[in-house]
Amino acid sequence: MGDDRAVDSVVVTQTVRLLSPFVFTYGLYTMFHGASSVGGGFQGGVVVASVVVTLAFAFGIDQTGDWLDRGLLTGAAVLGVLSFALVGLGPLAFDGVSFEFTAYPGEKGALYAVEVVEVAIGVTVAATVTILFFELSGGFDERGGSE
Amino acid sequence: MISSLSAVLIVSLVVVAFLVASVRDVLAATVVFAAYSLVMAILWVTLQAPDVALTEAAVGAGVTTSLFLVVIVTTELPLAAATFDGTVRRSSVAAAVGVTCVLGVTLPALPAVGSPDAPAFDGVAPYYLDQSVPQLGIENVVTAILAGFRSFDTFGEVTVVFAAGVTVLVIFEKEVL
Repeated sequence: MGDDRAVDSVVVTQTVRLLSPFVFTYGLYTMFHGASSVGGGFQGGVVVASVVVTLAFAFGIDQTGDWLDRGLLTGAAVLGVLSFALVGLGPLAFDGVSFEFTAYPGEKGALYAVEVVEVAIGVTVAATVTILFFELSGGFDERGGSE
Repeated sequence: MISSLSAVLIVSLVVVAFLVASVRDVLAATVVFAAYSLVMAILWVTLQAPDVALTEAAVGAGVTTSLFLVVIVTTELPLAAATFDGTVRRSSVAAAVGVTCVLGVTLPALPAVGSPDAPAFDGVAPYYLDQSVPQLGIENVVTAILAGFRSFDTFGEVTVVFAAGVTVLVIFEKEVL
């Protein structure tokens, strides 16, 4: 396999450079506003991950992989699942059953619980898709020689 | 009835589906498959399902395609001639057409599109539609169902996504933490 996977086209790199912040913002918007508009954690997480994937296609998979922190990504994936589980078990403290978000006190308790859940889903999905992409492409292989 | 836009989309969907199967190169098939997802996403919008459309566009046309591409590039490509040589066995065609016809018999039993008597509107759907705002304070009913009323199911889905990431890390024997 060719080791030099950096793409040098100015059109590609400049377009990605210009668009990435907007796509990233749209991903975050989708994640945070799942309760009031189209989308949610899954879609937002995938859009955020797609920004990283696009960067990798434009600036080289190995270079983008070096720039990412694997430990941080794995930690984020774990954190998302754990916070979803915590929010799900929270109602037990308020005489509800698990995942009964209406048991949360306050007028908007259920809404806030759902929004935390959406962000947790988004974090896990974004981190996992990024991990999948770079592991499958070998971009996390620092030495990268053996393949 | 079906609008002209939907008709065009459905026809192109079928055409693209045939292209995916008949294109010889795996890379080309992957790209055509992305186009299939894109047409499907537009069709979801015309069917007033923007949440599904967004998922189809982001997952189907976007991330899945990039994952396929990356896997194809890092593995050895089979010879184009070995993948599909353009000939199809008559018995296979007969079987496919037969199954399609048998399944098609059930089509008249389906309720009309948007019919209020459809079984889908008979069960819990009205409850979700009514209670989404008063109980959870969420205007997007899809989110209310996924993350609110049925959040335990969604928790299972997130665990599946997480498991996929863990599986890849285990297969490549990466100890990251």
